[in-house]
Order: sequence, then structure tokens, then C-alpha cells
Amino acid sequence: MFRGLFYLLIFPGLAFQVVCGLIFEWIDRKLLARFQRRIGPPWYQPVADLIKLFSKEDLVPLGSYDLVEVLLPLISLSAVLTAGLYIPIARFTPFSFEGDLIVIQFLMSVPTLAYYLAGIASVGIYSILGGGRSLLQYFSYEVPLLITISGPAVMAGSWSVAEISRSQLTMGPFIIFQPLGFILAVVGLIGKLKRDPLDIPSASSEVVGGSLTEFSGAKLGFWYLVMNVQAVVGIFLLVNLYMGWSNLTFPFAAILVFLVEFLLMVLILSTTSAVFARLRIDQLAGLGWRILVPLALTQLGFVILMGV
Amino acid sequence: MLKNLINKTYRWAQKNSLWVLHYNTGGCNGCDIEILDLLTPRYDIERLGMIAKASPRHADVLLCTGPVTLQAKEGLWQIYAQMPSPKWVVAVGSCSTTGAVFYGSDTVLGGVDHILPVDLYIPGCPVRPEGIIEGLLQLRERITHGESD
Repeated sequence: MFRGLFYLLIFPGLAFQVVCGLIFEWIDRKLLARFQRRIGPPWYQPVADLIKLFSKEDLVPLGSYDLVEVLLPLISLSAVLTAGLYIPIARFTPFSFEGDLIVIQFLMSVPTLAYYLAGIASVGIYSILGGGRSLLQYFSYEVPLLITISGPAVMAGSWSVAEISRSQLTMGPFIIFQPLGFILAVVGLIGKLKRDPLDIPSASSEVVGGSLTEFSGAKLGFWYLVMNVQAVVGIFLLVNLYMGWSNLTFPFAAILVFLVEFLLMVLILSTTSAVFARLRIDQLAGLGWRILVPLALTQLGFVILMGV
Repeated sequence: MLKNLINKTYRWAQKNSLWVLHYNTGGCNGCDIEILDLLTPRYDIERLGMIAKASPRHADVLLCTGPVTLQAKEGLWQIYAQMPSPKWVVAVGSCSTTGAVFYGSDTVLGGVDHILPVDLYIPGCPVRPEGIIEGLLQLRERITHGESD
């Protein structure tokens, strides 16, 4: 009972993921600033932002569905935190079961749908535009991402993230066998997180703040937290699926390797958002269906052929 | 005791993460360009925790430039009303503080303080980016001592 609560609230659960999310945000913003030859925010910046948002007044625009607006960020936060529970951190997997990869995929798409609903519920014109864009983006990146992520599962012969991670100890990291799959998965993850080259739903020069335009105070704080935790969970997932070796027998070595791989993924994400400019929504849909889906199918075909 | 601590934490957080909204009430664009300079690598106000936001509901500080024209009056008031408190108004540039050369014109009301409670005046035509940063630092000081809301 107490052990379960500890898992849920402290180690792979709430506290750990939130702290990781805040650290991720700081590293990401600092890296982006350094890429642009700026100094960047101090280390406590994400904490200060969060506390400030919680201290602010909570405005509800006239005509919006206030209960829905309160529930949506909470639902997406809990979905993302639950997804994080099933992903092995170094070697630690208290809740792993066969097929949790699919559960994680489902839970990770809850924030996108909630983001769309948030735009509709808060009735601003920019919110509705941002919501519609987020759904269009969802249809573009989700299919290639799902096809790509089944590559490691087929290769390892299991749909459990822990099992996939473990099988890379003997077979070698899957990034060597599926470099194309890894790149596609990173693109899909960027789309899922609405990060810079694919931040079409929240592009501030076009649709102000996307679905979150009308959100203020604690609700906005929860939304930013959802984004950060989602990023961390996505990175943990890709680290386990492609990079391997975070499952070494020595706990210390496993933690060290996991940390290095996590930082490497953050570096990849920050670099892409610093280097590339934003795509238009039609360009993204074209990229998703004309390029990413055929490439993902090719990669999956190769994986299946290699297995035979 | 606990309430005091929470209050202090809130003040610290508010001081360190001022999100800025910029609104031109009818100026010549000179001060706007200087405000945009703040985001460039040379001045980089993100190291002070400030980000330029596009939505008034996300913002803490309203940076106004230009004299308040009759046409901009309603919009200025609406933007201020949409910002969640605690919020601060900063008048950037000579026009925004007093109306400057436009004072007395029949289409101009004067400075921003005709419409909104202004917390900080930064004169200059246009203000140098260093001047705006200095002003925002003084605003941070004032938040720590809890003088304004």
C-alpha cells in the first residue's frame, strides 16, 4: 500500500516527473539561448514561472465552459503521468506489463485531444483556430509515429517497453539497426510536443497562443507543466526504445547511461528547434503523408525482413 | 507566519518571471523597435526571466508606447482588463509618459496615465534599450518591497 503510494507520488510518479519536466525546460531554454548567442534564463526560471502562474488571478472569459477548462489540464496531466509510470527509468520498472507500449501511446495522445477541446471550450477565435490546427497536426504525425514505434517492438518480439529495453542488451541498441526509424520517431515526438519546427498550433505570430490564448493563472501553469512532463515522458520512451544500454546490470552504470542518453535527446530536440523554421500546416500534412509514412513503412518492412 | 512565507515566495516568483505584453497606443514605432531590441541576443531580457507574450491573459507587465489616441483608448482599456492581476503598467517613451509633442491635439488624450494606473515611467525619445532594462529592474525592486500592484 505505502509502496504503491510511493511509486505513484514520488519516484517514477508525480514528484520525479515534475522535477524532470522543470529541469528539461531549463536545459532546453538555456541551450536555445546559447545557440542564439544569448545568456539565457537562470536555473530557477521554470520554478519561478510555475509559482508565479499559480499566484495569479484566474480569469474565465464570458461564454466559456469553465468546468471543462479546469478539468482538461488536470486530465491531461494525469494521463501523461500515468504514461510515465510504465516507462523504465534506468532499470526500475514497477508497473511494466506486456503491451504497455500501446497504453503509453494512447495516454500520450490524451493531451493533444484535450488541447483541441480546450480551444473549443474557451470560444476565442484564436483558440478555435489553434485547436483545429492541433488536430490537423495530430493526423499528420501520429500515423508515422505509431508505425515507426512498432519497429523496435517487432524487433524485440515484445510490446512491453521494459522488455524491448532489456533485449537491446544482447542485440545492441536499435538505433544502429533502425537509424531511419529513430529520426522518424524524433520528428513524430516533436510534432506531439508541438515544439519549434512543428509548433503550428501555438505559433505566437499567427494564432497568439493557440488553444491556450484564453487561459490564465493556475490553469495555464498546469498546461505548461503538461507540456514539460509530456516532453520528458516522450524522451524517456525514445531512450528506452532506441538507445538501449540503460538496462545495464550495475545500477550506477545504468543511471549514468540513462542520464547521458536523456541529455543527448534534449540536445537533439533543442538543436532541431534552433535550426529549423516553422512549417506551414499544409507543408506538415504533405510531409507526414507523402514522406514520413512511406519511410516508416519501409523501415518496418526492413525490420520484418531482418527478423525473417 | 506561513502566510508571510507564501507571500514572500509569490513575490519572489513574480519578480523573477515578468511576462511582457507590448501595446502601441498610437506612436511612431520608434519605441517599439527599441522594445523589440530587448529580445535580441545583445540585450536578451530572458536572462531576467522576461518573455514577450502575445496574449494579454498570459502577461504581467503592459509596456505601452506612444500617446493615447481616441481610437486606441477603448482597446487599451480592454487589454488592461483582460490581464490577470497582479499586473503592472509601464509607460515607455516621452509620448507615453506625457503625450509629448502630441499634447493638446484634439485626437490625442495624452499619456497612458489618462486611462490606466501607471507604475513606472521611462522617458526618452526613443528610449534606449538600456533605459527600458533599467526601468524593468526598478519595477522588480518595487515588487520585492511590495509597493505596487
